Amino acid sequence: MKTILESIALTKIFKTGKIEVTAVRDVSLKVPEGEFIAIMGPSGCGKSTLLHLLGGLATPTSGRVLVDGEEISSGKDAVRTDIRRRKIGFVFQRFNLLPTLSAQGNLEIAQEIHRNGSRDRQHVDEILNLLGLEKKTHHKPSELSGGEQQRLAIARAVINRPAILLADEPTGNLDTRNSMVVLKMIQELNRALSQTILMITHNPEAAGIANRLIEMRDGRIVSQQQEGEWNAAEDRMSL
Amino acid sequence: MSSQLILSNVVSRPMRSLATALAVGVEVALILLLVGLSTGMIRENSKRMSGVGADIVLQPPNSSLVLAASTGAMSVKIADLVSGIEGVKAVAPVYLQLNTSGGLGLVWGIDQESFNGITQGFVYREGRGFQGPDDVIVDDIYADARELRLGEEITLMNRSFRIAGIVEHGKGSRLFIPLGTMQRLVGTPGQATMMMIKCHDKSDIPGVKAELEGRLKSYPIFDMSSFAAHLEEANRDFGPIKFFTRTVVFIATLIGFFIIFLSMYTAITERTHEIGILKSLGAPQGYISLLFLKEALVLGGLGFVLGLGLTFGGRFFFQLLMPTLQHQLPPEWLLYTGILALFSASLGALYPALRAARQDPIEALAYE
Ligand SMILES: Nc1ncnc2c1ncn2[C@@H]1O[C@H](COP(=O)(O)OP(=O)(O)O)[C@@H](O)[C@H]1O
Ligand SMILES: [Mg+2]
Repeated sequence: MKTILESIALTKIFKTGKIEVTAVRDVSLKVPEGEFIAIMGPSGCGKSTLLHLLGGLATPTSGRVLVDGEEISSGKDAVRTDIRRRKIGFVFQRFNLLPTLSAQGNLEIAQEIHRNGSRDRQHVDEILNLLGLEKKTHHKPSELSGGEQQRLAIARAVINRPAILLADEPTGNLDTRNSMVVLKMIQELNRALSQTILMITHNPEAAGIANRLIEMRDGRIVSQQQEGEWNAAEDRMSL
Repeated sequence: MSSQLILSNVVSRPMRSLATALAVGVEVALILLLVGLSTGMIRENSKRMSGVGADIVLQPPNSSLVLAASTGAMSVKIADLVSGIEGVKAVAPVYLQLNTSGGLGLVWGIDQESFNGITQGFVYREGRGFQGPDDVIVDDIYADARELRLGEEITLMNRSFRIAGIVEHGKGSRLFIPLGTMQRLVGTPGQATMMMIKCHDKSDIPGVKAELEGRLKSYPIFDMSSFAAHLEEANRDFGPIKFFTRTVVFIATLIGFFIIFLSMYTAITERTHEIGILKSLGAPQGYISLLFLKEALVLGGLGFVLGLGLTFGGRFFFQLLMPTLQHQLPPEWLLYTGILALFSASLGALYPALRAARQDPIEALAYE
């Protein structure tokens, strides 16, 4: 299968004054199209930093990232932004919705940015239906529940059919019930639409719905397991 | 959609938006009121000049079209020379002098008989012409504005005058005193600063003008319509007025610039997180800059509309307070101030907009 995302010897070192923190150390990773990867690891082990590097929000100290064959790890902000615009959808723990726009407005602005101005109301409606938000199109984020806000954020991330969905603890701010709903939808995106997904999570149950589980420690990938290799977790998963 | 984001950002902070727009509005109103007043005054002056009824105006050599600043003078005997020319019906020597006591304005020294030959006489609302050397004729606007009555004493050029007549406005000046009195006051007996000439027929004007030009070589000679137009132009280009107008336009534009700058600078700080969101969605720097520039343009445009309101309000207020002040707005200045408002808005938003676009996405997203 085609490799949609690849990192080669990726390293990120933060320098604050005299202190150096190596957040990501020599990470090489290949993600085939359609795969759903869960990344786990203790706080501060470099998960978010890795995701930022993969999505071109930050540049690596060394190493490369290729998104669908294009190098997103180059220094130029304009190049990274352009690839991100065309190829990547982000979901964050804080939902990161634009507070002054309605649900529909939040989706439309993502479309506008993606297509340099045009928008497609029909596609917006489809996605809103899929994520169960069809009755909330005119609500502002502050008028939505946490679960609804995160579903809206997911809708926004996939509205432009990105090559890769990068999610950083998408259920981190949600209660168990809402977490379940959101995870179910992420899973649905992967199964039904073959959406390639990389998801950071603290929740072993959430990891259970992925095809591959990557464990990080201290900036490195320490283990990788394919689907079925962590039965215990999958048994507990009842989505 | 970005237009919706811009509008919702404007609306979500109504006081900030209103205050910013209002400041731009003050910028616009300041300019329009000043230009309106100076234009009104200049137009009204030249209209009053045309209202005298002369066909040709003769000025002494070295005189200026800014009449208040003109120092040239000529002998009243020139009037005899002029009246001998064929086609000339009447000639009136006039002495113009700037009066600074009790308001600024030109006082005309006239010989009533010859002046009446030009104007067909004043239309008296009250009283009649000069009875003595200390008499003054005032026009109705001047009288109404100061609530003056017939027989009342007023001070002009540091001297007391008795109001002998109140006349309808529109014939040259608002204040007339006898030519002889004026000459004595200024210390220039037998002199005049201007000759008003009336012809028997309009068709005589070119011939008379040509004849005058032949005989009085260094004397500026105008037919009335071009004289009025020249007056307007000269007053507009008069150094101090021009400088003053430019200074006010500059300062007003600067105020608009700084207000928009401050407002947008605060906005980008407040919206750091939102900028991070847009960046994570892949919005290029140009898109984010434009978002803020457009918002500033909306505020500038809103300010312009508010400014028009303030201008008309201010005009109404001025007219109540000072009825003699004429206000006339040249329409092209609406365009100029509109452009200035948008110009100062975009200039003020430029740095904040560029700064917003250059934010680091991770830092912006982490911003609380
Ligand atoms: N901007 C930064 N400046 C300095 N250190 C940072 C910065 N971002 C992250 N780090 C450090 O890098 C390490 C990895 O952080 P992070 O990727 O956020 O971990 P995780 O998401 O796994 O909790 C941590 O030690 C963190 O303190
Ligand atoms: Mg993290």
